[in-house]
Amino acid sequence: MMTDKVMTDRDTWCGSREHFIGRRQFMGTTLAGVGSAVGASLFTHPVGATEVAQRGKSMVVIFLEGGLSQFESWDPKSHHETGGPFKAIPTSVPGIHISELLPHTAKQMHHLALIRSIKTNLDDHALATNIVRSGRMTRSATEYPELGATVAKALDRDDFPLPGHIFAAASGSGGRGNNAAYLGPQYANVTVSGDAGVPNSVRPEGIDVSVDTQRNTWRRFINSRYTRSVHATEVDAFTQSYEQALKMMSQRDVFDISKESQAVRDKYGNHELGKQLLLARRLVEHEVPYIEVKNGGHDTHWNNFEFHIHNVTYFDKPFAVFMEDMAERGLLERTLVVVMTEFGRTAKISQGFGRGHGTDAWSIALGGCGIQKGAVIGKTDEKGAEVVDRQVDHRHLFHTYLRAVGIDSSAEFNIAGRTFPIADPAAGPITELLT
Amino acid sequence: MTATNAAQSPVAPLDGRLAHLSKDFEHTPWPLCCRVDPTGRYVFVGGTDHTIQRWEIATGVKTLFSGHTNWVPTLGFSPDGATLYSGSYDGSVMFWDVAAAEPKPVRIIEGTHKGGQPHLGWVRSLAVSPDGKSIATGGNDGMVRLWSTEDGSLIREFPGHSLFVLSVLFHPGTHDLISGDLKSNIHQWDVKTGALARKFELAAYDMYFDIGDWSHYGGILGLAVSPDHKHLVASGLHKPTNALTGNQQGVAHWFDWESGAKVLKQESIKDARDMATMWRSVFHASGQLIGPLDKFVGFWKAGEEDLYHAFETPSPIHDIDLHPNQVDLFTAHFDGHIRQVRVAAATT
Repeated sequence: MMTDKVMTDRDTWCGSREHFIGRRQFMGTTLAGVGSAVGASLFTHPVGATEVAQRGKSMVVIFLEGGLSQFESWDPKSHHETGGPFKAIPTSVPGIHISELLPHTAKQMHHLALIRSIKTNLDDHALATNIVRSGRMTRSATEYPELGATVAKALDRDDFPLPGHIFAAASGSGGRGNNAAYLGPQYANVTVSGDAGVPNSVRPEGIDVSVDTQRNTWRRFINSRYTRSVHATEVDAFTQSYEQALKMMSQRDVFDISKESQAVRDKYGNHELGKQLLLARRLVEHEVPYIEVKNGGHDTHWNNFEFHIHNVTYFDKPFAVFMEDMAERGLLERTLVVVMTEFGRTAKISQGFGRGHGTDAWSIALGGCGIQKGAVIGKTDEKGAEVVDRQVDHRHLFHTYLRAVGIDSSAEFNIAGRTFPIADPAAGPITELLT
Repeated sequence: MTATNAAQSPVAPLDGRLAHLSKDFEHTPWPLCCRVDPTGRYVFVGGTDHTIQRWEIATGVKTLFSGHTNWVPTLGFSPDGATLYSGSYDGSVMFWDVAAAEPKPVRIIEGTHKGGQPHLGWVRSLAVSPDGKSIATGGNDGMVRLWSTEDGSLIREFPGHSLFVLSVLFHPGTHDLISGDLKSNIHQWDVKTGALARKFELAAYDMYFDIGDWSHYGGILGLAVSPDHKHLVASGLHKPTNALTGNQQGVAHWFDWESGAKVLKQESIKDARDMATMWRSVFHASGQLIGPLDKFVGFWKAGEEDLYHAFETPSPIHDIDLHPNQVDLFTAHFDGHIRQVRVAAATT
């Protein structure tokens, strides 16, 4: 199993910049490790990694698929005809207004920040999703690892029993995704459900502990013999998957939201999003590096306003409960929460009261560790059609996310002697947003 | 509950194939609804610019009615044509003098909710009782409410819908109140007691659809009663293939008023018209149903499932109304125009 990792300020006991290993130092230790290790992925142990692993950072992404309308969420323009019929309401941060569709979230605004000046370049769902997840300017021949795989890799630690990259979904098979690229499949997402937990995670009744131990010992022996003569990434991945599955079986209660009190479950709500957010909170408590929750239905080319009443209202309360719960438990101190989408929607209202895919001036919300509370980055014009201040794109966001959880986004992964910048070297983080 | 045959003078059969554009009123920005006043002198238009626009049909003179602070999706008139009632997404209901030279609200209904509005959230639909003494409103708070037209006071509430009430209507013969919601529930209410008298049943996914456990669409977008008072018609959408792009077809379900049974479904069968929603349907006095299907006006004969004619207009239609002369239709379009469609032989 791969044992090395990239340096992060998670790996410093206090998380301070003074204790953070510099890029030059990091690269030096990484390269030193290349000569001594065998395998596809080579990273050095950073100083103090053992201690800091106990206070690991996490990232929770709530991905609102389809392209959430910034008008009906984070950047309302209720004074203008492009703004549609919804009002802007004040929040817990004086001077910040968001859509009236988010009354519960408005009360948690002091935990959040907004970026209202995102301009991107792709309006196709798949391509846009790819670039916001990979932080690269555009899709290229090189396949880049997605944010979750990057974070899982960077925050990985040897003794961690759970997958580092988990999608909490309505129905989770326990299978892996294909989004880790050169980092290796062990950093691809594992999908689990807050309702069903991890499927097939109980030892079959007909196999007792001793038999189970024997068959795993036999599997390891056979694998070991095989890999002495043949080394292949696929074999590593296969082996890792088995070992990961065994660890997850021993930790299956982590995924079981029925372990929460009824009062807590009621608070989050008896619906898919509430259940997945509750699962996300449990996974953060167990220091899983990256957790993603998805909710769809935002691609509102028709009847945008009607659909956003449902979609945004559905999101609002459980998200607010999640933020409040995370804050009360002190988890926001070490967790970055991002409400992500692949693009926004157009200022122009189309026939059928829809909004098209909007890449010129859209928004996200984020909060938690490393992020200034109550900050607003950037500004759009009165119509919400153009960015007029502090234009950023998905590359800057990617850098910012990583920096917020203490990953040096200017560092590089070293994969079998070949280096890969963790994030696009042509861009950097939104420094004024970082603490 | 029994419907009486409406006393009607003989009406010439309608021939939708004679439909042609006869006038065009440029509203901009988008009109949400259009209604012709009972005297037939004006067409009133509620818009996304928060105003109501009154167009004198003969002259094309436009007058603005300003007062609402959000979109205006629903209008109605007193039976004598003297008073206009309007409902808005700002949650308010206003009374206006139809013929005022300088219009201003003559009454604003004060509700019992926080903020003093008739509904918590959007007012979606209003209907005027046949005797003109009350108006019913339906809103996003799932409530139907009955208000006195004399003093604007709340007469009665009708709780029971689980989601937005999109349409309300008084049966012109029985004076029963009917309401339809987003989940395609159709309720008939006892106006005097507020009790639910009965429900008109639609099958699952006849007119209501969902996305996961979070989003709802479709529902009872329009209600109409046939000229003989024997049928209730609910219009909306069905057969969605991609709800978020509006890829669906328009539909109208007929119910027998006496039994409550669903008896007929009218749609565009031979020439399926995608991207169509029947936002509203209106009855011609001859018994034909007329409704918008995207940029077409569909004409159905009573008792027939498929339309016999679809008249093409320049732009998708969001609302439709029939002039008291039973010849002219007025359509509100997404291109910002109100169009007069004459269903009669064109004169040169």
